[in-house]
Amino acid sequence: MAIVNLQNVTYKYPLTHTPVLSNINLEVKEGEFVAVIGPNGAGKSTLCYTLAGFVPHFFKGELEGKVEVAGVDLKSTPLNEWVRNVGLAFQNPFNQISGAKYTVFEEIAFGLENQGVPRDEMNRRVDQALTMTGIRDLADRSPYSLSGGQQQRVALTSILVMQPKILVLDEPTSQMDPIGTREVFGVIRQMAERGMTVIMAEHKVEWIAEFADRVVALKDGKILLQGVPADVLTSHLLAENGFGTSRYTSAAREALKFNLWPKHLHLPTTLQEAVDGFNLTSAPSPKERGE
Amino acid sequence: MKFFEDIKKDFNTMIWVLIPVAIAINIVMGQIVVILKLPIYLDSIGTVLVAVIGGPWAGALTGALSNTIWGLLIDPNALPWWPVAFFIGLVAGFCAKGGLFKTWWKVLIAGFLIALTAAIVSTPIAVYIYGGITASGSSFITAYLLQTGQGVFQSVFSTNFLVEPVDKISTSLLAFAIIQGLSSRFLARFPRPENVEIEQGAERTQLFIAVGIVILLVLIAAFVLVKILG
Amino acid sequence: MRERLSFYVKRESFLHHLNPLTKLTLAFGLVFAAFLSPWYWTPSFFVLFAIIPLSFIGKVQREYFGAALRLILPAAGFLFLMQSFFQPIGVKVIFKFWFLDITQESLMFAFTNASRIFVMVSSFTLFLLTTHPSELMSDLTRRGLPSQFAYVIISTIQIIPQMQAKAQTIIAAQRSRGLDTQGSFFNRIGALVPLVGPLVFGSLVEVEERAIAIEARGFTSTSIKTSLREIPDTRFDKMFRWFLILLVIAVIAARIWLS
Repeated sequence: MAIVNLQNVTYKYPLTHTPVLSNINLEVKEGEFVAVIGPNGAGKSTLCYTLAGFVPHFFKGELEGKVEVAGVDLKSTPLNEWVRNVGLAFQNPFNQISGAKYTVFEEIAFGLENQGVPRDEMNRRVDQALTMTGIRDLADRSPYSLSGGQQQRVALTSILVMQPKILVLDEPTSQMDPIGTREVFGVIRQMAERGMTVIMAEHKVEWIAEFADRVVALKDGKILLQGVPADVLTSHLLAENGFGTSRYTSAAREALKFNLWPKHLHLPTTLQEAVDGFNLTSAPSPKERGE
Repeated sequence: MKFFEDIKKDFNTMIWVLIPVAIAINIVMGQIVVILKLPIYLDSIGTVLVAVIGGPWAGALTGALSNTIWGLLIDPNALPWWPVAFFIGLVAGFCAKGGLFKTWWKVLIAGFLIALTAAIVSTPIAVYIYGGITASGSSFITAYLLQTGQGVFQSVFSTNFLVEPVDKISTSLLAFAIIQGLSSRFLARFPRPENVEIEQGAERTQLFIAVGIVILLVLIAAFVLVKILG
Repeated sequence: MRERLSFYVKRESFLHHLNPLTKLTLAFGLVFAAFLSPWYWTPSFFVLFAIIPLSFIGKVQREYFGAALRLILPAAGFLFLMQSFFQPIGVKVIFKFWFLDITQESLMFAFTNASRIFVMVSSFTLFLLTTHPSELMSDLTRRGLPSQFAYVIISTIQIIPQMQAKAQTIIAAQRSRGLDTQGSFFNRIGALVPLVGPLVFGSLVEVEERAIAIEARGFTSTSIKTSLREIPDTRFDKMFRWFLILLVIAVIAARIWLS
């Protein structure tokens, strides 16, 4: 049974005439990690906002079709109830700080206070969440004094502590330097390993290849193709439609023209696959080259 | 209960997030004006902004909290004036409800009404708390009027009435300019976007009316002053 | 431009451990009593026998005296001068200056007013020095204040310094591009727009995302909210609050009695 179920979803923002999402059909199983890729303006963020309930409840506009998460229908559920099932984190970490709290510990408890969780349970859950995401050492700092990567990890922890059934991430590392990116993906890897249902819009394909179970490629508000990362990320359709591809895939695709990539192998999406593949073709071993 | 429903309508999450930003705009603007040594306050732009797109009660809350926070954290002399800021927000909100924030010449009227309110509300505060002489520079005018034998209420009110219109009309125009700079998609998320839907109309007639209104306001102001002082 | 925001000084003291509402009642009680009292000496009495001792009890005497000398005394002193010069009351002229008479009555009037302002600012300063804003807001929320108010107050306190910093960056940047912020009147008016524009629009565009972020964390949840902080409210607190309320009533009674 799918935990997320989108049927024929079409959406227009208010005061606009062209749909940002058109005829989207998507099912996500419990525990699945789905990555959504697509060029700018493909509708990735809108899809995230729809799953998180902000389309249509916050942004208004016209939503057609059916959106269901954990058996609950979006259109007939108010936003404040919807967010109990779906957690959302997005690009800008700074704007995700509530502003109502002085320390990271309190910041993470903010959502639980709003839900009326008793104090003892609240302390325990915040504690667990801090350990899980590895930011226990930040607990007493002010959220405003942190780096972007740290702030984004606080934002993720603040959502995880609320124990949503699914987690929606909208390019959580797009405004981060390489260090911040690695920190944040470290937390996301944790989520994937724990079997959390995650839907993540992301353009850093090297990372997606590592932990996504499925990739959905979005273009002009429609699903262009979907499937396992190895198939989707190496598809020639992506390159033709202006998607970013993994640099390992591009390198192998170029190498293929000069017979430097083994034909029987799939194009690589991760560094490891690329290393393995190129090892096979770089036939002359160091010894042979020397003689 | 309709009254409470009305108040409730002024508030949604967007407004709750906007209010702290608006208070900060009030305070920081007030400080920038001091740095630039300009002879106006411009410390209610945020209040008017919230009042127009949120509603009178959201505006009133913004005003009252601005002065309280300003008074407690930055300048103690701001504290007793919170009712003035409260009414600035309230009146600005009702002006916007009445359609006075749809074209710039109507904003002039709104600015004038806000100024009148500010002058009226601050008079008893100045009289009862400070005996008419406050810590502000305009008290020199009050002092002069007092020395010429005017009563304390008249002196304070005349002073306020001289000082407020320029400031509040500029404030309202600046708030209006800010709202014009925001996209209608963004404004649509606030409780009262209908307050700022632009009216279509002939520019020439508008200008004509605007000039007429300005002349009228000046005449009223002169008349009121003569009445009070005469 | 960046000055005293959120004064709280973390110390262990009797005053720090009082319930925030008690301290708020104390501050307001002193202010009301000072303003409503019929006797001119009441505010000075409060300063000597309530505010200064309390600053020692709260172990914040150094911070309090610092604030009093730097901010409160100058403000009250300025008011005293303005009022003693400009109040046209009284007949016993002490000396004349231009068209202004300084009389014994205007001096008394100025002294009472200035000392009342001194009490007002001092009590709130003491309150802020010994009360953490989150503690106050948690306590008031528990007592029924809508939780949105707590959000507004604390987020304002945190946004102001950020915006002041932003304003300073913008002023510096525009000056380095040759913007005249010191020249003639019209130059300075002209400087207003390039300074204010980026500041205001920059912070307004953030509003939408920040609203989404707190909404995603149950800001509009209809559950009864709980609080991470536990704020004690002892029997002493309750009694002390009643005592303060009675004090204010007594002062009002005295005023009516004597008039």
